Amino acid sequence: MKAEELNTGEKTTWCPGCTDFGILTSVKQAITNLVNDEKVKRENVVGVSGVGCFDKIYDYLNINFFHALHGRTLPTMFGIKLGNPELNVIGFGGDGSTYAEGMAHVVHSCRYNEDTTFLVFDNQRFSLTTGQATPVTEKGFAGPSTPLGVHEKPINPLVLTLTCGASFVARGFALDIPNLTKLIEAAMMHKGFSFVEILQPCISYNNTIQFLRDHIYKLENHDAGNYDEAMKKALEWNYCQDENSKIPTGIFYETNSPVYEDQWPQLKPWHNVERNPDFRKLLAEFKK
Amino acid sequence: MEKHILIGGEAGAGIAKTTLLISEIFTNAGYYVFNYREYQSLIKGGFNFNVLKISDKPVYSHDNSYDVIFALNQDLIDRHEKDLKDDGFIIGDKNLKGKNMISIDVQAMLEKMGASKKLGNDILIGALAKIIGLPVEPVVKVVKGAFKKKIDLLEESIIEGYNCVEKKMELDNPDGKPKYFITGNEAISMGAIVSGMDMYIAYPITPATPVLHELASKQIEHDFMVVQPENEIAVACSALGASYAGANTMIGTSGAGFSLMAEALSLQGMSEIPLVVYLSQRTGPASGVPTYNSQGDLKFAVNIGHGEFVKVVVAPGDAKECFYRTIEAFHLASKYRVLVMILGDKHVGESNYSFDDFEEPKIKPNRFITEPCEDYKSYLITENGVSPRSVPGQSAVVRATSYEHNEYGHTTEESEEVIKMNDKRLKKFDDLKKEIIGLVPVYLHGQGKKLIVGWGSTKGAIVDALKNLPDFKFLQVSYISPFPAEEVKREIEDSDEVILIENNATGLLGDIIAEQTGKIINKKVLKYDGRPFTSEEIVEKVREAIK
Repeated sequence: MKAEELNTGEKTTWCPGCTDFGILTSVKQAITNLVNDEKVKRENVVGVSGVGCFDKIYDYLNINFFHALHGRTLPTMFGIKLGNPELNVIGFGGDGSTYAEGMAHVVHSCRYNEDTTFLVFDNQRFSLTTGQATPVTEKGFAGPSTPLGVHEKPINPLVLTLTCGASFVARGFALDIPNLTKLIEAAMMHKGFSFVEILQPCISYNNTIQFLRDHIYKLENHDAGNYDEAMKKALEWNYCQDENSKIPTGIFYETNSPVYEDQWPQLKPWHNVERNPDFRKLLAEFKK
Repeated sequence: MEKHILIGGEAGAGIAKTTLLISEIFTNAGYYVFNYREYQSLIKGGFNFNVLKISDKPVYSHDNSYDVIFALNQDLIDRHEKDLKDDGFIIGDKNLKGKNMISIDVQAMLEKMGASKKLGNDILIGALAKIIGLPVEPVVKVVKGAFKKKIDLLEESIIEGYNCVEKKMELDNPDGKPKYFITGNEAISMGAIVSGMDMYIAYPITPATPVLHELASKQIEHDFMVVQPENEIAVACSALGASYAGANTMIGTSGAGFSLMAEALSLQGMSEIPLVVYLSQRTGPASGVPTYNSQGDLKFAVNIGHGEFVKVVVAPGDAKECFYRTIEAFHLASKYRVLVMILGDKHVGESNYSFDDFEEPKIKPNRFITEPCEDYKSYLITENGVSPRSVPGQSAVVRATSYEHNEYGHTTEESEEVIKMNDKRLKKFDDLKKEIIGLVPVYLHGQGKKLIVGWGSTKGAIVDALKNLPDFKFLQVSYISPFPAEEVKREIEDSDEVILIENNATGLLGDIIAEQTGKIINKKVLKYDGRPFTSEEIVEKVREAIK
């Protein structure tokens, strides 16, 4: 299979030059590689998105896809996995929808550790709604809804997901397609909840391309099995644009921990189950 | 013959279990029993009670004047002594005081037998059986049979209680055939299993929680899953995910949780993923009176979710209807890829009803999932608006979406396509309306010339009240959406007088009838104190209303 087979022919409506194209290319290549290596079946791959610029990927990927609500990618993924555990579920979120509207789900998906993959397109802005601040926006940003400047410090999604029990935590860069492709493949192959933050500068509302190029570096000689080391690396960047920022990318943490699905002996692809319940037997306990 | 028993005391005193045992003694002998539960939102202490109506003829409601008060604390007597009939009795421990009191020295009897304190209620059950006129053997048999493990001195305690009092009442002989004794919530759970449910997803909330517990306890034996996610938003979103993947899915909640689900239920409308929702109403708005009853969410259910889309709302009137309406709900949801709401409430959900039998359901489980054809379109436009359903994992790409879309499911903003897809979705109403006519959307009880109109859990009290209102018939409306407008209109036009009865403050069904038929019902009997109607109240208020 070639990556082009995952094209849909739908017209793209991202801004010309949007860094989301880099992510789209990586996702297509990662799925193609895994299908060609017979690690996943194409028909079993299911995409899930919420609402934001990132969500347009729904129309550009020719795979099973559930385009859900703003901030609700995670519970929708969770449900799909329960409905058919054989599916390879890959979800897409933005930093606005994920950490503002849908924050509760982040905590719980990490805790559940269901075997799914979640990619967050992090441009530190609500861009589709013209560039308001999100929970990951740098302190001091004066935007259309916050002209006095953002007062709060940004949350650190890597620290958050590590704390909440995610068994795979990584950070990629939308403009480093080869490495991002590898990260997505690794995330999809990891058994458990895989969280991948993708730094994705918004060329219209938050063009951090140069800043990120200047400060990003690849994790090397990093022990991804060591939680404390992962946390140390996660804390290295505070999501603000300081001159001496150091922004590591790569797999921060990966561990084997029991997945949500393991606790359910009865979990299976339900659509194949034939049922013929005996109503009289069922009601017998109420005959008193 | 009718006997009314009030059983109550502090929460944690074993009132629910004692009530079930007493009920079972009667249903086992062939009597019909209705059990109404009232309890507060607390764990220990406070004030809980159950009211039993026992008869040799079918009964569907409770009344508030008692032949026997089975008191487990003084508070119950202080509050309800006034409701004791003149020839009634209060049974209780010797430290309780009340009129027509039959005092039993429970402590002394336990000590004499060397029995545990837990057997105190069984002594009182024995005494109640004697006073009301039951033989002792079946009482012992039923109580012993209700516990899985053998309990030392259980039989002796019942007999001791039985022997320490005199028989005071006479009972008519029943038919001797044991009855089904079941709550609406239990019946909905059984209906879901019979429907071939794969997945129940819910967050705890009174009064829908019993379904969560009942189904959770049966998931392994009957091979389905019960999941409790982080909140109701996750419940509704994950349910749509599971159903998209092919699982036959139901969710359950009450008003507060239903509010949180609204956005996802709107997503159901756009994505056309089958979903069954059990909405058990309680007293609102907001946190309201959480363990009490209301029919206040009728229009909220009918109008849930932003945008215009097809919804089915069915309101069962008793536990038996809960069973069959749940089966219909699963069938309609899958067949038409629509949202189906089973609209119950605390009263129908938590009260126990008794029935002679259940008939075999005509509807069998069916997922309506097809093998995808070549060039499969997730939102194919068909004559009746229903697109063939497929699931991921097969040969075709299956899409579901919250955005307006073309037949393949791709996003669109083109005016023509927006119109086409709206028309396709709304078209489903036509076949649904036809199908619902075959499901008895309205039912006429009684033969009078004057008409009572109502829906849902008021059925029991109204049907029982008809015995004392010979001029009246009762039109029970069960399908609220699609609304059986012709049937309701005809009945209103054919009646001399019309009274609306609802367990809410504004008469919500009256609004829907006006909207759907142009008929305005001016005479209304409404109750909104969190308590359901009794049949006595219905008789009194209806007579007042037609004065």
